[in-house]
Amino acid sequence: MTKKGIKHLAGKVGGIKNLLIILLATLWGLTLLADIFVVEKIFDPLGYLYIALGIVALRYVVWPLYTGRRLVQYYWQRVKRNRLAVLGLAFILFLILLAVFGPLFTPDPTAANFEQKNLPPVGFTTEESIYNPQTGQFITKTISGTWEHPLGTDNKGRDLLAMIISGAGVSLQVGLLATGIAVALGTLIGVVSAYLGGKVDNILMRFTDIMMTFPFFLLLVFIVFIFGPNLAFIVLVIGLTGWTGTARLIRSETLSLRTREFILAAKALGASDGRIILAHLVPNVVSLIVVIATLSIPGVIMAEAALSFIGLGDPAVTSWGMVLRAGQQSLDTTWWVAVAPGIMLFFTVLAFNFVGDGLRDAFDPRSSV
Amino acid sequence: MEGAILKIRNLRTYFFTRRGIVKAVDGVSFDLVKGECLCLVGESGCGKTVTALSILGLIDTPPGRIVAGEIFYDGMDLAKCSAEQLRHVRGKEIAMIFQDAQSALNPVFTIGDQIVEQIKLHLKVSYREARDKVINLLKEVGIPSPEEVANYYPHQLSGGMKQRAMIAMSLSCDPQLLIADEPTTAVDVTIKAQIIDIFHQLKETRKMSLLFITHELGIVSEIGDRIVVMYAGRVAETAAVSELLNNPKHPYSTGLIKCLPDITQERERLESIPGTVPSLIDLPSGCLFHPRCDKAIAICRKKQPLPVSVNHGHTVFCHLY
Amino acid sequence: MLNHKLLEVENLKKYYPVSGGLLYRHLGDVKAVDGVSFYIRDGETLGLVGESGCGKSTLGRTILRLEEPTEGTIIYRGTDITKLDRKELRGLRKEIQIIFQDPQSSLDPRMTIGQSIGEALLIHGLKDDRERGRRVTDMLERVGLEAQLALRYPHEFSSGQRQRIGIARALAPSPRLIIADEPVSALDVSIQAQILNLMLDLRREFRLAYLLIAHDLSVIRQVSQRVAVMYLGKIVELAETGEIFINALHPYTEALISAIPSIRQRKIRILLPGNVPSPLNPPPGCRFHTRCHRVLPICHQAEPHLKDVGNGHLVACHLHGV
Repeated sequence: MTKKGIKHLAGKVGGIKNLLIILLATLWGLTLLADIFVVEKIFDPLGYLYIALGIVALRYVVWPLYTGRRLVQYYWQRVKRNRLAVLGLAFILFLILLAVFGPLFTPDPTAANFEQKNLPPVGFTTEESIYNPQTGQFITKTISGTWEHPLGTDNKGRDLLAMIISGAGVSLQVGLLATGIAVALGTLIGVVSAYLGGKVDNILMRFTDIMMTFPFFLLLVFIVFIFGPNLAFIVLVIGLTGWTGTARLIRSETLSLRTREFILAAKALGASDGRIILAHLVPNVVSLIVVIATLSIPGVIMAEAALSFIGLGDPAVTSWGMVLRAGQQSLDTTWWVAVAPGIMLFFTVLAFNFVGDGLRDAFDPRSSV
Repeated sequence: MEGAILKIRNLRTYFFTRRGIVKAVDGVSFDLVKGECLCLVGESGCGKTVTALSILGLIDTPPGRIVAGEIFYDGMDLAKCSAEQLRHVRGKEIAMIFQDAQSALNPVFTIGDQIVEQIKLHLKVSYREARDKVINLLKEVGIPSPEEVANYYPHQLSGGMKQRAMIAMSLSCDPQLLIADEPTTAVDVTIKAQIIDIFHQLKETRKMSLLFITHELGIVSEIGDRIVVMYAGRVAETAAVSELLNNPKHPYSTGLIKCLPDITQERERLESIPGTVPSLIDLPSGCLFHPRCDKAIAICRKKQPLPVSVNHGHTVFCHLY
Repeated sequence: MLNHKLLEVENLKKYYPVSGGLLYRHLGDVKAVDGVSFYIRDGETLGLVGESGCGKSTLGRTILRLEEPTEGTIIYRGTDITKLDRKELRGLRKEIQIIFQDPQSSLDPRMTIGQSIGEALLIHGLKDDRERGRRVTDMLERVGLEAQLALRYPHEFSSGQRQRIGIARALAPSPRLIIADEPVSALDVSIQAQILNLMLDLRREFRLAYLLIAHDLSVIRQVSQRVAVMYLGKIVELAETGEIFINALHPYTEALISAIPSIRQRKIRILLPGNVPSPLNPPPGCRFHTRCHRVLPICHQAEPHLKDVGNGHLVACHLHGV
């Protein structure tokens, strides 16, 4: 491949950046095929989803952020002024750090240790009644928390802090991946539908209506029944059924953008439909996409928590929902097991909502931030 | 001035924003004589709308505030009135017409209902009486078949009709002073002519005092008695209309007049004023117009010009005099 | 300047079908442009004046085929462009360009102005970044803006500057004809003058022809060689600029001219009663007869056609022997 040859190819697909992405995407596809048909597992399904999302994000998120640095700075200034949003961001950052580095300092969340079961968190004490068969009486013994298990343990002796940290990782992953899939799909369908209009619009919107009524829960049960519970499937199902709201919103925004004069100007310059959609419409809906995505993440996280709570979650993975499930039966005695994930879920949802609101205000040209 | 119904003295309205203090109106004074039409003229950003809103206390108070000055109407200083007192003045004594009839009219009520609501707010009359008054008002502004039109919704009316309806609404409580903010800017040429005609009539039949805000000098010459030229929040020149158009003293006024495309003459190029209006946060020193003025002298950069009377009733704020 | 006809429009029509009712029946058509014919010569400016709803903006866009014509021909440099397919149409986009009224919404807020100006070049094959950059800089300087402003975003500029950027964008592909759709209506008076002067200079420098669409006759007077007056989808009068102002023949033109507020003349104003009729249902006979101050009985029945009454002065009115 000569330098000239590469440049020529790049010219055909619209730039070096697109060429790189196409290359990466092809590699991804080949690896996936090889995995399914030929070789032993290279990545697990979740891994593939991650890489796919990463490639799309690279091309449509990282690259635009880099080339539009001035604009990004401008919006960042506006976001910074909203204290709640900044707090929310700080919390999310904290969660990320927790999820990434936490496991290095805590024991395995699945390691059962029956000797240390039902320990309360540090600073709390509980009483346990032990029956002495010799005396025939119950003796109450006080157990207090130790720093070895700062948040206590559950009825199998698993360290609660480790479980919470693992749960943070799960929630973030699911939130990111499932939302990524849902938003990407929703945007694609919304923009194409609004731009092409007419019959295409009709068909796509009726399809969206059908998907909206789709019983995603049943689908999940069905999949779990056949393939067994797996986080990747949960992510896929949430993603593939949760794009409808986004599609509607993006479509209406695109409809109003379509009549704006700069779109007409692009047409007058000779831009093809594809170029208008990708280079003009999409960047202008990006702010809406970001806000929608940020405000969808809490819903996704709660969906996953709910699924794990009722037992459809991936047992190999400790998520907050699962911990809630374990703790709900003994709420009156080992209350910390349920309270900890509850508090985490609460603040996580709040944090994303604050950030989403802050972003929405920052992007709205009419609001004086 | 004799017989002035409205006296503005040294009005300063500032907006306190994160990026700095926007001095939208910075020391504006003028008188409006009863029964005359005073035109506030200037380009976008000169502060004419903010002046009008300040008179009625309609400035958005978190960022904006009347910082200094007096607005004398009928013995009261409106700048120091309470919200309650201002509400009595608004609509009844001083009414305002906005530029965009579309957004000033409530789309979910009929024209008739909106005006009736306005009337009943200020006057103690029955619904029947208010309704009759509305029909008369619509007739007065030249709306055909007023009984029918009163039952129309705003979206059913054309641009010119909406403008007239808004004028009718402002007249509903027989105000003494009417403030019109660019009522002819967003309309077609032939409708403009009709609207100017209505204002002529109003002056004659109702003997109303009119504060007319516009950037079109042509309209001023048709309907104005006196003119106040504003630039970047301050007054540049005040005079009778014919005096200013024939004998402008301030370089900005002269520039504005020369800029006008003229249908009576053929010219190779249009005269224009170089540069742009300064940002109201970052104002130049001394005379605000000096960076664009072709007659600027050394003192213009340093000191704000004081008012100089060049003729009877003709005042200019310029160091050249 | 050559006197070749650069653009010739013949009987151009643009109808928008209206459907309604439960079964979406075809109720009628909004006849936005209803049989318009004119030509523009190389390097000439034709002013097109009329009030809102007369179809002038639609006419401008239809010529560019941003709206598809319902009927009629548009001949540009000898070729009927109504018959071009998509590929050939792209080539046309280099030759005819457009400037919009609202400087705020005609620029993509998420693109730097350098990108906006260079977009035409990119679309038509100039992929070399450096060369494109040079051309963009060139354009910016021609319209009076500094080169380093290319990296800024539209919201960082004033209206007048944004309009200049719009002009630079239209000039980038080196067109021969620019359709200027109310280019100065949204600007302050002193900025209007600046932009009009710029357009005059560019016309001289690049040998451009303009179709200047405006509702302000005094602006048209300043810049155009010939003027066409539109009412409800049709041209009612077309003549050289000087001729029209001295000798307006159509009553509508008379009314328009008399309606202009002027600081130099006191004049008797002709007030047109009523409103512009709906283009869905234009009046029979001459469309203007419902508001005409010189109406004759025949005007209710027969529609007048554009006729040359001498000196290239065209008028469609029964008063002038049609």
